Amino acid sequence: MLSVAVVVTAIFGWQLSNETVVKPPEEIEDYLFWQAKDLTEFKLMGANNKTLSLNDLKGRWSFVFFGYTHCPDVCPVTMGILGKAFTLLEKTPAVSQEIQGIFISVDPKRDTPESLKEYASYFNDKFIGVTGDPEQLEAIARQMSALFTIHASDPQKSSTYLVSHNSTVFLVDPQGRLYGRFPPPQTPQEVAEVFLKIRMFHSERDKKRWVFF
Amino acid sequence: MGIFLKTLIALMLGLVALRASAGDVDILIHDPWVRAAPPNVKVLAAYFEIKNNSKKPQTLTKVSSPAFDQVGIHRTVMHENMAHMEHLEELTIPPQAAVVLKPGGLHLMLMDAKKPLQIGGQVPMTLTFRNGKTITFSAIVRSDQMGDTEDHQHMNHSMHENHKP
Repeated sequence: MLSVAVVVTAIFGWQLSNETVVKPPEEIEDYLFWQAKDLTEFKLMGANNKTLSLNDLKGRWSFVFFGYTHCPDVCPVTMGILGKAFTLLEKTPAVSQEIQGIFISVDPKRDTPESLKEYASYFNDKFIGVTGDPEQLEAIARQMSALFTIHASDPQKSSTYLVSHNSTVFLVDPQGRLYGRFPPPQTPQEVAEVFLKIRMFHSERDKKRWVFF
Repeated sequence: MGIFLKTLIALMLGLVALRASAGDVDILIHDPWVRAAPPNVKVLAAYFEIKNNSKKPQTLTKVSSPAFDQVGIHRTVMHENMAHMEHLEELTIPPQAAVVLKPGGLHLMLMDAKKPLQIGGQVPMTLTFRNGKTITFSAIVRSDQMGDTEDHQHMNHSMHENHKP
């Protein structure tokens, strides 16, 4: 169903634009969004009062993960996989300079920017940790369709509540566009190999201009 | 041959020790571990395989550790890429069967460590069953093995041999 829709869209888009359609290689198709989506301005807070905004994503590939540090299972598993994927990617110096990891805590009541710095950098020093107020978090999560829910009637009073969150790793390209995603579960090898293919496709597509609409 | 025999004896002694430490031959705990985490993390997870060798179901009703303020039985449930956590009041292990607590699924949630854990350290744990029996064992603190090439090296096969008559 999805592939039919992709084919129909591709043909339709090709006819409309009369441009060469650069179809992604099949093995990375599932990891890419149909169309790269421009992110709009956002503001989050990191350690030492350093803010993170859209501009900080530009010029590099960003691996974005929404979670919380009181999460004992999925978050450290995913962060561990990403950290190891980064270690694999760091073997290529050109790639190493182009990647960063961003851990966005959706639990600002318990996670401070300072504690997030310690948490994120534990998995790889290319990771930063940020959070924000509920409105700021909602705004960035909505842009990536990353739902989260805090299961506490009053998080201000309780300290043991659970949080449901999207465990997808989102990939933002160096132009600040939501470009791809790694659904769980993943392995470091899968993330590294797929990322290298996406990166290659990204530069080829830029050359040939892939226009859908 | 001599080495083989010695190894076999050592292995058997090891199994005896494992059984003795478990306190109850009906229930065996295999490869218990706690994921190492950044020092400021307050909530950790413990994993192991729990095997019920008896002919009756065994229900785990309470989990505790002197190293943590609170311990609970939890399960991660994935639904359309959303990760949810479920708290379980109890966990039943069917007769002659094993239940595996592993990353991305069932785990013990360890809350508020009394002091930071070190890689290679031991975390004592006590499991209490509905029939009143308890098992005490230690879980080792180590990093996540997921994705490592030596993934299966930590699989100890003694348990599978252990319950053969």
